[in-house]
Amino acid sequence: MPVFLRAPAATLLFALAVAAAGVLRVSAQRHVPADIEDELDVPPIPGEIAKALSFGFHSLLADLTLLEAIQILPQRHGDMTPEVAGPLDRRLYRLLSYSVEVDPKFAGAYRFVGAALPHETMDGKVYGVLNAVQLLEKGLRERPDDWHMGFLLGFLQSYYLHDFSAAARSLSVAAKQPHAPPWVGLLATRLAAQGGELDVATSLAEAMLAQANEEETRKQWQERVDALHMERDLRAIEDAARRYREARGVVPRSVQALVAAGFLPAAPREPHGGRYLIAADGSVSSSAAERLRAYGLATKFEIH
Amino acid sequence: MTPILTIAGNTVRELVRSKLLYNLLLFAALFVAGSLLVAQLTIGNWVRIILDMGLGALEITGALIAIVIGVGIVAGEIQRKTILPTLAKPVPRWAFCVGRYAGLLLLLVVDAVVVVALLAAVLRLAGYRMETTVLQAVALLCVEFAVLSAVAVLFASFSTPILAASYAFAIFFIGHLLPDLRLFADKSRSAAARSFARGFYALLPDLELLNLKSQAANLMAVSPAYVWRAAGYGVAYAAVVLALAVFIFSRRDLN
Repeated sequence: MPVFLRAPAATLLFALAVAAAGVLRVSAQRHVPADIEDELDVPPIPGEIAKALSFGFHSLLADLTLLEAIQILPQRHGDMTPEVAGPLDRRLYRLLSYSVEVDPKFAGAYRFVGAALPHETMDGKVYGVLNAVQLLEKGLRERPDDWHMGFLLGFLQSYYLHDFSAAARSLSVAAKQPHAPPWVGLLATRLAAQGGELDVATSLAEAMLAQANEEETRKQWQERVDALHMERDLRAIEDAARRYREARGVVPRSVQALVAAGFLPAAPREPHGGRYLIAADGSVSSSAAERLRAYGLATKFEIH
Repeated sequence: MTPILTIAGNTVRELVRSKLLYNLLLFAALFVAGSLLVAQLTIGNWVRIILDMGLGALEITGALIAIVIGVGIVAGEIQRKTILPTLAKPVPRWAFCVGRYAGLLLLLVVDAVVVVALLAAVLRLAGYRMETTVLQAVALLCVEFAVLSAVAVLFASFSTPILAASYAFAIFFIGHLLPDLRLFADKSRSAAARSFARGFYALLPDLELLNLKSQAANLMAVSPAYVWRAAGYGVAYAAVVLALAVFIFSRRDLN
């Protein structure tokens, strides 16, 4: 072929190849098969095997799965029906559990679990809480040194599951970590009191009081110890008043009446300097302080 | 000592002209710098992504340099017959082997220093500082490079460059699987399988003992006692492998 013909032919062929590549690329993108993750609910490679086959790069693999999970979260909206949100939730859970299976010490992934997995719907239902609790329990076992683990787990247990005793135990672990803010321990004791675990609450509060160095912190913990002692007294008086009422058919008028009738060994001293009062309906209170209760936990969720 | 230092110096001079070295360093630099962009995809945990990518880049480049160049500086020389003029001089074969290894190791340490300096700059740019665990992880990575270089020199002492590199890469991958082999040995019900797995475990280098990348990325403290012990294990293992390489190389017919 003559040279003057060869150059335009080569140019034409090159242009054709470029155009074909562009057109076919768009066409192929339109016909791309569905992601395998959308169709299968199990990871292509189980976490344990993936960890071994990452040849020492398991930490990087855990980062990649967390990054993928982070990209999925914005796709889920509050107004989605459970049927539409379900596959996204399952994929999110699978990626996050994969991430913490490959690197069980990955604190960032556990924190994301606590924030991303549970989600509420407008009709009072909540999804993903049990999966989040399961992963955060693992997080608390693997990274007890990170106070966020116990705090996030305690929050889910108290706010959604209303398991105040378990929440108090989780928060107690968090409160004992060096970088935990003081309110974590205070919240733990409040929830323990709510859940009836006064011994747990008192031992935590006394331990925190013994450790406290600053005057303000010592004062806060001393107040909490007093509140717990008051709660212990109030429960003892309530119990005695109930027995009194069962035996005599009337509500006792005062703590002294309970002592005189032998239902209480002695009148307990109110730690704040006030007095214990018994109302006409039999409820017991202090004249100096309110009872220790957790607030804002009245909402009942339907757990899915 | 002089022939070792001379050969080590020549090895460094020879290798600093290698294009492969600069390409690998460029790859590591891009990977470390790119970690700053990738970190923006995550939520408030930048330091982990930067450290994972930075230490990962260091390990990949270090392992590639140790194996590819480590094989080339012995087996490549033998294949090209360029080793003969060197050995014609009063240089014992063991000194050639050890000198080549020392030169390569020096280069690997320089590579580690460059990547760590870049990593420190990226961390600083992102508002973090270099924790002690990161430096411990880098130190143990250097020990891993020492083991891999010794393994590469060992295979290069009796095999062709391609086969030697393949064997060395296999050791790298198996070395990171060894904790699972140990687990298998502990859990296996068959006595023969247990003995077989334990034998292999004892023979091969447990490179996971030298892997602190995950602890560094999770900002978890590691006791110095562990680092010293693991480093000691790696150095001793590398010394044994290098001695074996010298033994084989000294008896090899190079013609």
